[in-house]
Amino acid sequence: MSAGPYNYSYIFKYIIIGDMGVGKSCLLHQFTEKKFMSDCPHTIGVEFGTRIIEVAGQKIKLQIWDTAGQERFRAVTRSYYRGAAGALMVYDITRRSTYNHLSSWLTDTRNLTNPSTVIFLIGNKCDLEGQRDVTYEEAKQFADENGLMFVEASAKTGQNVEEAFLETARKIYQSIQDGRLDLNAAESGVQHKPSQPGRNTLSNDQQFNKDNCAC
Amino acid sequence: MLLPTHENVISIVQAKFSCTEIVRTLHLNASITQKGWVDESRILALVEHDSTFALFIIISEKVKPESFSDLTIERAIPIDKHFSCDTDPIPESYTHIIFSIIHKKLKLNFVIEIGFESSNFASEVIRLKEVSSFNVNNFNWLDKYSCGGSQTEIDVQQATMNDQSPDLPIVRQKVAQGHGISANRESFLRYQLSLKEPEYTHLQEFSIFVGTWNVNGQPPTISLKNWLSVDQEPPDVYAIGFQELDLSKEAFLMFDTPREAEWRKAIMDAIHPDTKYRSVAYVRLVGMQLEVLVNNSHYKYIRNVAIDTVGTGILGKMGNKGGVAVRLELHNTSLCFVNAHLAAGVEEVERRNQDYNDINQRANFRRHPYTIKEHDQVYWLGDLNYRITEQSAFQVKKYLASDDLASVLLADQLNQQKDLSKVLQDYTEGDITFQPTYKFDLNSDVYDTSEKARAPAWTDRILWKGKGIHQLAYRSHMDLKISDHKPVSALFKSEICVVDQNKYRKVHEEVLKKMDKLENEFLPQVTVDQSEVIFDTVKFREPQHREIIIANTGQVLAEFEFIKKLDDVSYCKEWLSITPFSGCIKPGEKCDLRLIVNLEQPLESIYDILVLHLIGGKDMFITVSGECQRSCFTTSIATLSRAPVPLLQLTPDQFKHAENQQSSILYSIPRELWLLVDHLYRNGLKTRELFESTALHEEIIRIRDWLDLGSMDPIPGSIHAVAEALLLFLSYTRDPIIPYHLHDTCIAAASNYQNCKQIVMQKMSDLDRNVFLYLCMFLQELLKYSNENGTDPKTLATIFGDILLRDPIRNSRPQANRGKASFIYHFLINDQSSLIMPCK
Ligand SMILES: Nc1nc2c(ncn2[C@@H]2O[C@H](COP(=O)(O)OP(=O)(O)O)[C@@H](O)[C@H]2O)c(=O)[nH]1
Ligand SMILES: [Mg+2]
Repeated sequence: MSAGPYNYSYIFKYIIIGDMGVGKSCLLHQFTEKKFMSDCPHTIGVEFGTRIIEVAGQKIKLQIWDTAGQERFRAVTRSYYRGAAGALMVYDITRRSTYNHLSSWLTDTRNLTNPSTVIFLIGNKCDLEGQRDVTYEEAKQFADENGLMFVEASAKTGQNVEEAFLETARKIYQSIQDGRLDLNAAESGVQHKPSQPGRNTLSNDQQFNKDNCAC
Repeated sequence: MLLPTHENVISIVQAKFSCTEIVRTLHLNASITQKGWVDESRILALVEHDSTFALFIIISEKVKPESFSDLTIERAIPIDKHFSCDTDPIPESYTHIIFSIIHKKLKLNFVIEIGFESSNFASEVIRLKEVSSFNVNNFNWLDKYSCGGSQTEIDVQQATMNDQSPDLPIVRQKVAQGHGISANRESFLRYQLSLKEPEYTHLQEFSIFVGTWNVNGQPPTISLKNWLSVDQEPPDVYAIGFQELDLSKEAFLMFDTPREAEWRKAIMDAIHPDTKYRSVAYVRLVGMQLEVLVNNSHYKYIRNVAIDTVGTGILGKMGNKGGVAVRLELHNTSLCFVNAHLAAGVEEVERRNQDYNDINQRANFRRHPYTIKEHDQVYWLGDLNYRITEQSAFQVKKYLASDDLASVLLADQLNQQKDLSKVLQDYTEGDITFQPTYKFDLNSDVYDTSEKARAPAWTDRILWKGKGIHQLAYRSHMDLKISDHKPVSALFKSEICVVDQNKYRKVHEEVLKKMDKLENEFLPQVTVDQSEVIFDTVKFREPQHREIIIANTGQVLAEFEFIKKLDDVSYCKEWLSITPFSGCIKPGEKCDLRLIVNLEQPLESIYDILVLHLIGGKDMFITVSGECQRSCFTTSIATLSRAPVPLLQLTPDQFKHAENQQSSILYSIPRELWLLVDHLYRNGLKTRELFESTALHEEIIRIRDWLDLGSMDPIPGSIHAVAEALLLFLSYTRDPIIPYHLHDTCIAAASNYQNCKQIVMQKMSDLDRNVFLYLCMFLQELLKYSNENGTDPKTLATIFGDILLRDPIRNSRPQANRGKASFIYHFLINDQSSLIMPCK
């Protein structure tokens, strides 16, 4: 029996952003591998993961970029926002400072992505109820005020992880259906055809201009 | 024509291999004809390592690759004792041949163009094959090309089982690399699903009725019920074949006959009345007709129906003989029905065998699976025309009269040929318990009473091939007398693989998940031994280097490159260089990168984040930083003129004060400049080629430190080193002595001394002018000794023009150099002493 084609019809690019240590890499790993990686090394750069999902009967390939959260990399990681169809903005419910920084992350996201980019707020580490430092209600209100989707999740138990990634995809897919997202726009973050990941992500032309610079 | 391009491609292909693995010769543009292989342009390469040779199959993204990243090694085949190769012509092609490579169970057919390239290549492979047969060779070096050495054997077997489709590891690797994505994913998925088939299917018995009748061109004047509806239970599937449906010339020549519709109606009227049937497929070639019907309720489980016809009659292609076939999938089992009418004539055994082979070879359903034999179950029916030859008609009839079928069957040509494996080799036939079905006088049960008096024979047969087929009945139908043949039928209980949709969905999901996992697992992975590179105090023109080790910790080739950040012009700042800045690392191997910092600018510290990009994978950030030491060489003339003591003796506050434009100027020319010029004035006026020879690097560094730190010692270094230090000083001062904005004016005025003088007097700041005139006076002094030092105004004008009027981007306007030299020249040959004014 030949199964329905494995070919996916869309590629969605996601970025995961938020302060260092909030669990971005663990969320990515949980989503792609269904495992919790407790000894996850610090991300110094941008990790890359992929998974194929199904939305409304359509196969969609997610290309997910997990960015380094350190402040000193901010200037560089900004380059990766461009062309993201979805942005997962993560804070740690046990560390208020990571919540307080959200507005700055949100500003970056708004400035560097296009208006149709779906932003999903994730309050991670909800398995650590005892150490909670940010209430659900407070974050929910922040999300509502800023028009973000929101869940509390745990990369450790897997709770709501799948939901956050899928819900984002559904929202993006809906935008395509509604015609709100222009697939032809270079930076829509959605591609119709399969292509190699990451080729043109950081900068569109990666020629090495080293030769004609002053050195 | 071929050779020069080849040289070029060889070097590109060579880049895929290590230096001990040498690409000897190539064949471009070979295509594989087998199914299951992705249709891509391939390159065949003969590679030598330590006197052993291997044939590499390389996929190229372009017909002519432009860089090694266009290439993927698909397979490495050792040229050892298991290796052989062959060339075969392609029928009716004068331009291409088939070049086949056989290694153990693997056989690959390449279609290549006939010509110099192919004959050269093939003869080289054949020669190497002969050479290698004499030696025992070690092919361990190929292990790394086959994803773990021990796996290869199994893979080859799997590949063979799976009709020689690409090896799993290669699919895996290709999936991982994102190459030819969809085709590989599709075949990988299909392969994985087929391995897991038992998990989501169960076997269910279906009854299949197969009938065959040579109707001798007669119209259906009787009901077919006594043939098609003799069983109590209605069968699930009918496959009904006729031969000699119409013997007229029209049918033969025009391929058209009214009989077709008549017989089809006769079938519909006679099939089992207890169930509704639906025709799934229908095919006819001249007199051979085959119709497949299924019980209505199964109709929706039928997929991928296809038909084909093969004529083997007159000229080997007309449709008076041959076969027609229908293939389909019922649930998850592929079925093929073949209705054949093989060559007639008592003695034509070989022709019949030949017809059988032709049908098998030529039937092609233009989709996977393409051929008859690839189906899970094949039912072969028809007038196969095999006779009884070793017994006379009389003898046969005598045996039949005494019900001794066995004795006659011993002389049956089909049984004999089958035993000799000449025909229907893999097919099974049930026991024949019915009388021969040929040849009867029309409308009777009497065997041929004509003059020929042919021996009765079982010309009409039904055989099968495949798993789970049980024959329940095999019989003739004597009541149907209108033809000289009697119809035959067989009833089967066949096991059909039925998919449990829920389980299937689950397995499908699992496989997809596995593929996702694989894809992530097979992303290129590397680690760097340090992500922060901190340099010791960085000093002017004193390069330092640091090593970074990149290790490929993943399972696929890692191609890396440094990429520039948004808005940057280059992947690193001008004070840094990285070698290599891109490359390729094999799994388990490492690559050393050298970062060299060389400071030529006035920076307090260096800082940059490098982005190391893995092609098709992640990016890593490498932070480079270091404190810089100030130097007079990169400080502005003005700041130096305001500094009371050497630069490195200044407190930070003092330095800030010196930098401040408002602070008073303490020296009319910078102390450091004066020290250099004065030294040359005293010791170097008679030195030959003062500004034209280069000093040792360390001498310059010592002079730099001597100037920056301040010292009572005499100036270190040779007179030439001091001269070079002066040139460097003037070349790197933060701003050129003649400000950038005046350069074009100077060059425009260069033909006229008065104009040049005016620029210097009116447009330059007092300080710059002083420095400029001071230098000119020194150079004039030097020229006074031109007999001893051999210099001349033109040489000096050229050297200093380039420096005093240096471009913002070095050497960006070489065409302006003449103008600069002319400008300076005026000031070397005219007296300037009157121009010097004290600083205000
Ligand atoms: N208890 C708990 N710990 C988590 C969770 N997610 C991440 N962590 C831990 O938080 C630390 C930082 O996670 P990481 O994914 O590296 O954060 P990133 O810097 O945002 O990528 C690690 O030690 C993880 O083990 C979670 O959901 N629950
Ligand atoms: Mg991380």
